[in-house]
This record gives sequence, structure tokens and C-alpha cells, in this order.
Amino acid sequence: MRQEKIRNFCIIAHIDHGKSTLADRLLEETQTIESRDMKLQILDSLDLERERGITIKLVPVRMTYRAVDGGEYVLNLIDTPGHVDFGYEVSRSLAACEGALLVVDSTQGVEAQTLANAYMAVEQGLEILPVINKIDLPSSRPDYVIKEIEDVVGLDCSEVILASAKEGRGIVEILERIVRDVPPPGGDPEAPLQAMIFDSKYDNYKGVICYVRVVNGVLRPGRNIRFMATGGVFPLEEVGVLRPNFEPCAELTAGEVGYVVSNIKTVAEAHVGDTITDDIRPASRPLPGYRKVKPVVFCGFYPVERDEYPQLRDALEKLVLNDSAITFDPETSVALGFGFRCGFLGLLHMDVSKERLRREFDVELVATAPNVIYELVTKGGEIIEAHRPSDFPEIGEIDEVREPMIKLTLFVPSDYVGKVMKLCQDKRGVYVSMDYLAPDRVRLIYEIPLAEFIIDFHDKLKSQTRGFASLDYEHTGLRASNLVRVDVLINGEAADAFSFICHRDSAYTRGQAVVRKLKELIPSQLFEVPIQASIGKKVIVRQNVKPLRKDVLAKCYGGDITRKRKLLEKQKEGKKKMKQIGRVSIPQEAFLAFLKVEEDEE
Amino acid sequence: MRSSSAEEIAARILSAGGPFSVYVHLPFCAAKCPYCSFYSMVPAGGDVEEYCRLLARETSLYGSILKEGEARAATVYFGGGTPTMLSPDQWRALLGRVRDDLPAAPDAEISVEANPDSLTEEHLAAWSDLGVTRVSVGVQSLCDGELRLLERLHDAEKARRAVAMCVEAGFSTAADLIFGLPGQTLRSFANSADGVIGLGADHLSLYQLALDEGCRWFGSSEVAADGYRFYRWAQWHLPGRGFAQYEIASFALAGRECRHNMAYWTGGSVLALGAGAWGYAGGVRYHNERTVEGYRAAVEGRGGAVEESEELDDRGRAREAAVLLLRTSAGIGYDEFSARHGREQMSAILTALEEGAPADCFRRTGSSIALSSKGMRVANAIWRLII
Repeated sequence: MRQEKIRNFCIIAHIDHGKSTLADRLLEETQTIESRDMKLQILDSLDLERERGITIKLVPVRMTYRAVDGGEYVLNLIDTPGHVDFGYEVSRSLAACEGALLVVDSTQGVEAQTLANAYMAVEQGLEILPVINKIDLPSSRPDYVIKEIEDVVGLDCSEVILASAKEGRGIVEILERIVRDVPPPGGDPEAPLQAMIFDSKYDNYKGVICYVRVVNGVLRPGRNIRFMATGGVFPLEEVGVLRPNFEPCAELTAGEVGYVVSNIKTVAEAHVGDTITDDIRPASRPLPGYRKVKPVVFCGFYPVERDEYPQLRDALEKLVLNDSAITFDPETSVALGFGFRCGFLGLLHMDVSKERLRREFDVELVATAPNVIYELVTKGGEIIEAHRPSDFPEIGEIDEVREPMIKLTLFVPSDYVGKVMKLCQDKRGVYVSMDYLAPDRVRLIYEIPLAEFIIDFHDKLKSQTRGFASLDYEHTGLRASNLVRVDVLINGEAADAFSFICHRDSAYTRGQAVVRKLKELIPSQLFEVPIQASIGKKVIVRQNVKPLRKDVLAKCYGGDITRKRKLLEKQKEGKKKMKQIGRVSIPQEAFLAFLKVEEDEE
Repeated sequence: MRSSSAEEIAARILSAGGPFSVYVHLPFCAAKCPYCSFYSMVPAGGDVEEYCRLLARETSLYGSILKEGEARAATVYFGGGTPTMLSPDQWRALLGRVRDDLPAAPDAEISVEANPDSLTEEHLAAWSDLGVTRVSVGVQSLCDGELRLLERLHDAEKARRAVAMCVEAGFSTAADLIFGLPGQTLRSFANSADGVIGLGADHLSLYQLALDEGCRWFGSSEVAADGYRFYRWAQWHLPGRGFAQYEIASFALAGRECRHNMAYWTGGSVLALGAGAWGYAGGVRYHNERTVEGYRAAVEGRGGAVEESEELDDRGRAREAAVLLLRTSAGIGYDEFSARHGREQMSAILTALEEGAPADCFRRTGSSIALSSKGMRVANAIWRLII
């Protein structure tokens, strides 16, 4: 295939700005798919994605388009995950393209994540075609949005495309502009093979399917291919394109986009960003940009029913087949029994995974509050990775605690700036900058600890801005921080399960919240039970569970004796199920409540 | 659970030695109270008469065996249901049969429960003639509003008259009172307690409204659960009027404690007669057929009516005994308890109590341990330590 007839492009859009509908129209216009099949095929979105503001990720689709100039072009639409936790994956998808449609809702304007992805596209040298969508709506303000794109993104909008994907307006213009403005791919078909994996998924029949962009050389079944990052070598069994169904072909050559099947069992062997080369005649170096993604947010997953542990393990194993970014290791909890400590790329990734386990694998689970990994430097100079409070040594032995930080970009209607700034400050955010994108829209940038961001930041932002704010973030590394481990003592005995890490300044507030909650949930005992929060040996909060006032079965004669004995025995059984800390019985609910104590702090 | 024969029960009572108690159950009520979860039936014509005949048969059966031994009934208790649903004539027949068939000690305590709405002078006369010593009146409250709420068939005036009648007739008179009612005030509760004391009652049983499964109000939430203030008040007030708390729910003038109930709490043998009656014989707890129909079939078929019996193991028996003894102000006497259940059990129980509850929950002497007033208020939590 002649490279000059190929156009590889992607769509950058915010949730609800019309990406899916636009993709549908492009497929329809190029007769890639019959319109009657459209809904099933493309709009197959998880409710969850919509709920959590994640756009639907499509398979890479190959379209054939006869342009006005009479030429027949191959257009490859590569999707980007519209998900703040997947910055790296987005960068790889962009790296597979030469152009991008920047789709902005003409009633909404540019959102934070769109901007971040657009900038990434600019950095990678992609040709960007701005598309103002939904111009059919009465509240549409194309002039305003055009100005915003020019001001905020810095793109020339003299040739902006006005479209209504819903009504089919502007679709042909988009296709023509892709042909005219997006450069054809380069690459040398004769050079040693270099193909970049920009996505992979697990298929029950074919095994792992890698979606690739061939940069140099040719992918041809029958040869052995080598994955340069992992070193794995596999026979290349099948290559093909998606229209949008799998359509095998003889070869994929430099500039083309398609899929590769090569008897790989798990997606963990096919990293996004890795370079596929020929085993016999390998490229001298892999394509740039590969990075091994590491989970940064962790939480415990426990089955709701304790005996469903094996089901949860099976489900996680299957989930990881499709999502190698997830890690999981067995752990036990006093409150929840056996479960897994799981690692994710971010909070949304965690939520999505939890939902997928529930919806696709039918596993009901309890997720503990998420946490991050801290780096500790001891007085002896040793560096420790701390995943949980118990990994923290005694306070006297710690020289420095470092925590992961993110740079958070927020697009906020100006009316809510005060509230959002307060939220960021409450979350220990450090102000970086603020500028007006438009008279009524502000871009705020804060550097905030990831640990604070992953605890209900989204929910609070949403509720305080009535959903009118958008955000994007990037990891900026570790920063030394005044973090302490707060211990909880019940009747003088340390209760590990309730320990937590927080900034020294919020230790009192957080400690009080935990202690208050425990006071509510620990039933009165015969003794007064002090509940304390301490940093090292220093008690910072103390409250007492008042002793029982009255607990007596009034009368008890002949027939009552057996009945009341059984009642007492039953109560005692109930008590046995409680966790004993010293001589205090702690009900399950206390542990469960602690796992989400932050939610109830206010 | 298994089923013992009447003969086995009687033999156990004999071999346990010493005096025994008799409980006779009369399961008839004119109407079912909404908070009551016990079995009872509204009798149709002839039901009571027939039931008395069955009771007589059951009494004779046990009597024929128990007469052989030395044991004497130290207490007899007629409970319900509503025992005053029986006519005075039926009472004469029943009491006569029980007295004839079951040898009672000369100083036996013979108690009858009475409801204010159906108690008559004729009842009292019949009881007096046949040696009844004690009447327990189901007063519940002396506040009309509370009685209406409880759907009792009597008002405060009737309750007062019933207590006065019993006192007048020379019976040791007890009154039951309920606390923890919705809308009940400390003042109204005090008024009820002081009211029955003023009328001459010498014994009070105080119990908190509890909606067990099976009662009409079960699961309804409007009933106040915390009876703390009423109970606390009673513990503070009644001793000053001469009513010592001799058990969790029982207050009495000196010498007027209910010996029959004490037998339950101190592990005495109890012979059960009538439908649904519970007994205890030499380590076996048992109950008769619960329904009147089941009881009739059993008595007519096999003579005895024991439906289920349970024999606890040594540990279980010791623990149950300790719980019951701790209901009483006398508590557990170390020597007697050790003699009955073994030293190991005694010391294990003491250790559990000492480790699990603060010292001020107990009253201790060199040879006994009992619950203090405070301990009685949280007795459930203490019993859970040893059950």
C-alpha cells in the first residue's frame, strides 16, 4: 500500500462532547459499517464510564474513503483513552498518529483533560484539526468556543470545522480535511521491523491481540517476532485490520495500523509502548517513549462473603489478563479476612476495575480506602518503601518521609474558584498558578499530594462545583513531607487496623474523626473504655466509651431459664465474632467504618 | 433435646432428695395481651372443665410415684395464663386434688396468680379454705392510660381493689408492675409502686416491657427500650420502704420473698403440671406439651405430657446454676456451689467474673459473691462472661 494514501488520526474530546457520535458518522459516511449495525457496535459503552467521566475507548478502525480529488484513502481512527489515569496510554496512542481531531462541544468549551491531551498531541508533532461540535444546539456558542481554543490551546482556528455529529453536518468536511491536512505516515518498509503496541486486549479465542502501528519494515505472518522491552519471542500467527471486525490480511507495512495475534497468553507480555521487531533481523533500537507503567494507588479488595475468596482471585486473574497495569498480592485484614492488595494507575482506574469485577465477573467486594506508597529515609540512612501504616518504623527512627505529588490542572467556572481553591488547600495543595481562560473560566494549577487527591477529591470537586469543573493531572515525583503515623489505642492497647498516615497538621482532626467514629461503634462494655489517638507515645485525642448503664433481662422463672440461657449463649456467640482487642470487643462495623472514615469526617 | 417419661421425672425428683416445688400452668386468657409471647387460649364452653380433669389425671400419675418417697412439696405455684379464669368451684376441685395427691410440707408456700378483672371474693374464699398462702396480682400499672395502652382488661381502680381484697383476706400479696412503656414517666411508675405498697402488698415484681418474638407488638419500634431510670429509681427507692431487692426483678419485705421463685434460681426440683409447664428434676430441664390439644393427647395417651427435656453437661449445668444464683442477692456461696458442681467450676467462674467485670459490680464476702445494685443493672453482660 502506498503510504501517501494513508492517514492515521485520533479524536481528542471530553466526555459527552460527542466523540462516539462523530466516530459513528465517520464510519457511516465511509460505509465502513451499515448504519443499522451502528448502535450495537460502537455505542457499546459501560454506564460506568459515563458515570465516572471516562470516554469510551474504541478499537482502531480502518476506513476507506474516496476523496473529492478522486483518490481512495485509508483512514485509520485510533482512539485515546479519555481517562486521567492513563496519560501514558494516551501518549502511545497519539504516537501512532499523524493527526488529531480536537472535538469541542460548542456549548461547553475546552475541558482540562482535553487541553492536556491536545498539548500532548502538539508536543508529538501531530496536525490538529479543531472541530466545534453540537452546533445544532440552541445554546451553542461557536464564536466563544473558537476564541477559547485560540486563546487557551493556542491553535489557529481560521479553518475550524463546524459540525453536528448528531445531524451529520460537517462530516464530509472533516474527512476531506483529514485527507488534505494530516500528513501521510513516513517510515521505510525495507528497514528492520519496528511496530509500536498502542493497546492490547485479551480475547478468549485468539489470546492476546496487540494493536500496533508499523513504523518501519513489514509485519508478515510466519516470522518470529520479538518484543523488545520484555524480550519475549513469539511466532507471528496473524495480522489484520479492523473494519471494525477482525479482517486478516497478508501483511502490515510501514505506516499501517492493525492488529497482531501471536499466541501470547497474557497482556502482561505485551506492554503498551513496547516495540515489536523481527527476531532474525531486529531493529537496532526500540522506538522511543516506552515506559513501564507502575501502579501508584493501592487498596485492598476483599470478598463480601469470606468464602468467595477463590472467586475473587480468579476474577482478578482474568481482569489482569486484560489490564496488565493492575497488580495484586494476597493480604489479610482483621476485619475483612483474606483479600488482595491491588495496585492501580489512579483512582478512576481503581473504580473502573472494581466495577468491572462486579459487573463482568459477578464478584461483590469491599474496597478499602485507597493509599499511596511512601518513601521513608531512616536515621540510619536506609530507604524504605511503605505501603501501609505498619511499614512505618517508630517515629524516632524516621529521618524523612517522602510522598508522591501530582500537578493538578483544574478548569473551573470563575464563580467556583474560591471553593475549589479552598478544597485544594484543605488537601494540602500548593498553589502554582491561576489564569482566566475566558472571563468566566479559570485555569487553576496546584501541586497536591497524591494521597490527598485519591481520597474523595473528585466527589468533593463535583459537589462543590455542581459538576462544572474538569481536571487533569500528571505525576511530579516524590516530595519530603511532614507525615506521621497516627496510632489508635483502645483501652490502652494499640489497634493496628485503625492506624493511618497523615500530615502532622491534620493528625488531630483525622485522629478525632476516627476516635469519634469508634466511640459511636464500640458498644458500651462493663468498663469505661478509653479510645485514644497518638503520634508515637504522645496522645493527641482521647474519648471514653461510657460503661453500660443497663443490660438485664428482667424476669426469669421456670420456662424462661432455658430461653434466656440460649439468648445469652447467642449473644456470646455474637461477641465471639467480634475482634477482641485486650478485653474490649470491637464489632466488624467499626473496622468497615474505619475504611471509609474520611467520608464522614464532616 | 429428648423426651423423658413422667416416671423418669418423678424418679429424678425423688433421688434429688429434699423438698421440691410444683408448678401448675393454667393457659387460659380472656384475651391476649399485645406484648405477651406466651402460649394461651381463649376457652370455649367446657374447655376449662376438661383441662382440670386432665390436670387431675397428670397430678395423680406423679402423686402415685412421689407418695412413695419422703419428699414433700415445699412450694406450689399456680401460674398462667389467667388462673382466675377458673371458677371458685373448679379451684376447689383442682386444689383439693393437688393437695391430696402431692404431699406438701406443713409450712408449704402455695401461690396463685390473679388478674384484677376476674378475681372475686369467692376465689379468695376458696383459696383460703384450701391453704393458699400467697396471691400474686397482675397489676402492671395503676395508671389508666398505661393500662389502656397495654390493652389490659382492668383499670387502676379494679387493680387497687384486687390488691386490697387479697390483703384483706389475709394473703401474702404480691404485685407485678411493668416499666419502660411509651409515655411512662418516673412519676407514674412511682405512683404505681407506692400505690400497691400503700395497699399492703408485700412483694413487687418489676419487669421491663420486652417484645419477644411471637407477641403482637413484636418488631414495633415505638416502645422505649431503655428502662434504666425506672429500674435505677426502684433500686434506690424501694429498700427505703422496706422492700429489699432479693433478685434482679424482685423486691419484698423481709420474710415475704417468693420461695417458689427462689427454688428456680437456686436449682431446686420443680415438678411441672399442665400444658406448657416447665420443670427441673435432677439436672434435667423439661417442659410439657405446649398446646392444650397436645397436652390432652399426651395425658390421655401415655399419662405424662413431657414434650422435651434437656440434660446439660457438668460445665453447662454449673454455668447455668451460677447465672441463676447471681440473680439473687444471696449470690453464690462458694462451699455449697463447690460441693454441688466442683471446685474447678467454681474457680473458673470466679476468674471469669473477676477478669471480665469491674469490682464494683459485685458484693463479696469471704464465702460468697453476689451482684451489687450496679451489677444487677448490667447482669446480662456479666452473665455472658460465664455462660
